Amino acid sequence: MSLKGTLNSIGRALRTPKGAISGAWLALVVLGAIFAPVLTPYDYDIQDLPNAFAAPSFAHWLGTDEFGRDLLTRVLYGARTSLSVSVLSISVSVFTGMVLGAAAGYFGGAFDRAVTIFVDLTWSFPEILIALILVAIIGPGITGTMVAIAVAYLAQFTRLTRAQIMAIRSETYIEAAKSLGARDSFILLRHLLPNSLAPVLVAGMLATGDAIILEATLGFFGLGAQPPTPSWGSMMSSGSALLFKAPWIIVFPGLAVAITVVAINLFGDALIRALDIKTRLREA
Amino acid sequence: MFMTLKKHMLAASVSVAALLPLSAAAQEATFVLGTNEVGIPSYNLLTAVNTNTVYSMIYDNLVAQDSDLSFHPYLAESWDEAPDGMSWTFHLKPGVKFHNGKALTSADIAKFIEMFRSTESSYMVDAIEKVETPDDLTVKFVMKHPDPNILYNLASSFMGIPDPDAVEALGDDYGITEAVGTGPFKLESFTLGQETVVVRNDDYAWGSPLSANKGPAKLERITFREIPEDSTAFLELKSGGVDGLLSIPTDYLKDISSDPALSVAPIPGQEVYYMPINVTKEPFTDIKVREAAAYAINQEEILQNVFSGYGAVANNFLISALPEAQIDPAVNISFNPDKANALLDEAGWVKGADGVREKDGKKLTVSLWTQNDSVFRRLTEVVQAQLKAVGFDPQIQTFDSSTIRDQYKSGEQQLAVRSYFWNNADIVDWFFGGDRLGYPNVSMFNDPKAEELRTKAMTGSKTGEERTANFKAYHEYVTSQFPYAPIYQPPQNMAYNKEHITMPETLHGTSITGVVMVDVEAKE
Repeated sequence: MSLKGTLNSIGRALRTPKGAISGAWLALVVLGAIFAPVLTPYDYDIQDLPNAFAAPSFAHWLGTDEFGRDLLTRVLYGARTSLSVSVLSISVSVFTGMVLGAAAGYFGGAFDRAVTIFVDLTWSFPEILIALILVAIIGPGITGTMVAIAVAYLAQFTRLTRAQIMAIRSETYIEAAKSLGARDSFILLRHLLPNSLAPVLVAGMLATGDAIILEATLGFFGLGAQPPTPSWGSMMSSGSALLFKAPWIIVFPGLAVAITVVAINLFGDALIRALDIKTRLREA
Repeated sequence: MFMTLKKHMLAASVSVAALLPLSAAAQEATFVLGTNEVGIPSYNLLTAVNTNTVYSMIYDNLVAQDSDLSFHPYLAESWDEAPDGMSWTFHLKPGVKFHNGKALTSADIAKFIEMFRSTESSYMVDAIEKVETPDDLTVKFVMKHPDPNILYNLASSFMGIPDPDAVEALGDDYGITEAVGTGPFKLESFTLGQETVVVRNDDYAWGSPLSANKGPAKLERITFREIPEDSTAFLELKSGGVDGLLSIPTDYLKDISSDPALSVAPIPGQEVYYMPINVTKEPFTDIKVREAAAYAINQEEILQNVFSGYGAVANNFLISALPEAQIDPAVNISFNPDKANALLDEAGWVKGADGVREKDGKKLTVSLWTQNDSVFRRLTEVVQAQLKAVGFDPQIQTFDSSTIRDQYKSGEQQLAVRSYFWNNADIVDWFFGGDRLGYPNVSMFNDPKAEELRTKAMTGSKTGEERTANFKAYHEYVTSQFPYAPIYQPPQNMAYNKEHITMPETLHGTSITGVVMVDVEAKE
């Protein structure tokens, strides 16, 4: 079963050095985000103005920001925002993309053409442009950001699923299933989707890295999570104006974004290798 | 072939010369315009909705205003006001010439005033019925009604005197390729959004009494650069890439004071930060809730912690230097958390377990709008925390600085954090006039008594004293209705490299203008 196969592959990926290091970092970030309230004695939103701009010290490992709030606390809570926004919106994007792509690829016809036109249209714009337009319509905030990211990456997954389905559709075993009287839904769910799952999941993983950057970009423009909710992008944005006064305010959230995105990409690489997607496809 | 080669070599040698460091003897300087001055589309006063510092290099005004807000002769040597205020006569300085060599006469002033009537700022000349020109050097304004503010308007950056014939002749190109005034500097080149270069007007001999130097400027050439990001501009100053910044944020004051090469010069402040309160939106239709929000703002904490103690707190709508700001102290608004809490209790808003107040099952959740500049975002987060302390639940919404004005026009805002630049009491009319709801009247304030006081202040004053009294009454009444909460008056500071340039000891005028710039010298 291919889901089990995928899990096995994740295990295989984790046993490579690349996969192990990046996986460890990602686990650290996820655990930090989940257990943020337990890990730090500070609140992310209580201001302590007389203590603003404190340099990293024993009391504040990463220093304090312009409102005297502990930066480590803000980075941990910021991970919550960044990860939940990007993972949730990419999941929605992957799910919708798979449904649309599978339906378009399997049934073809007018529906396929409509989906393809829509997908090609959004594909021709950069993600950031689509996201900015959507946020302008929906309004700034977490909901707006999630919808924007989900829509911006929808085209990618729809295309990928559609291409996978098209490739497998004409295989002899599908023809066999059809001639044995299998229903469309059975063929789609039992044969086609499981066999096209792996590449879409890997693409989704890699897109999550991009989504973190997109979320940070929107946050940097002040269009993402609204204060006092921390997000890595908005923290960097306020830090950029204070670059000379308190460089740690921009440096640490910046490092968090950079390392996390690199880790996601490295893990994605390891996963592609472990899954050996192309071979598996050929066997199928 | 040979010709082309020679041309290339010539071009090459010219550009090499341009790349060489300027010799110390050259009287040249580069300044960076303030971030709020960035993006002027042209140097045409008749189409301008915003002006910048360079305007005052190219154009002189009829009168000049000093930092203490007093008026002084400029292109007009002297003036007389009729005892009933129904006419003003200005006597022009003889021998004044435009940059194109044409002599300035009273006819030019008359034509300019007529052209000004079709601009966005036409209210400035509304009170003038007609302009008479008894002789070449005498201009007489016959008034519809007395306007004690006429000198202020004539001294404003919007009313520098251009050559009206040149404006007509050049059409749309005027102010971009060419601009003709009588100022101490001539426009050499203008690159939209990047820089403006001006060169000395060697014929200049009509400096105002506010400048030590009455003749041609000492600097031969000035480049004004536009850098929209404060930290980049600051870096340019520190590295010696530019000689001065015309406006610096308080964040950099300490760094600049500790650098031996740099110096800070204070300019009279003109900016006020405030929080408009939309009086038409629940729960702020209840004056007690507005009052509570206003008393929740801790001006002193903001001054000390957001602006490092530089500048002053604001307790009403106007800059403290204006006489109209001296209203009844009991009406002034300053931090009073007990009063804020008591008022909310009285209004029926009860504190819940999470510290947020509730009434009839509805939480005291309000929107707090701000714009996307770093200073605004920072200030707004502190305001949010202060409002939270008395039981509000403010939700910040950030808008792009360029689109927020359009958003205000929707009238959907509840609270916002904004600032304005102006040093005249008529700003109360601009932001609280009942006919400008949404924007500029972000508070949507439209009160019959205020409108009555407003008309009296705007058009019903015969003398300066009367106008001051009328505006004081109008300002005081508006403040007593809590359509806003005052926050902060920032200091205006310029910073310069004292190893490169010498600034005059006292900076006259209401900002850095041509009046100051004629006295600036580059170090040998």
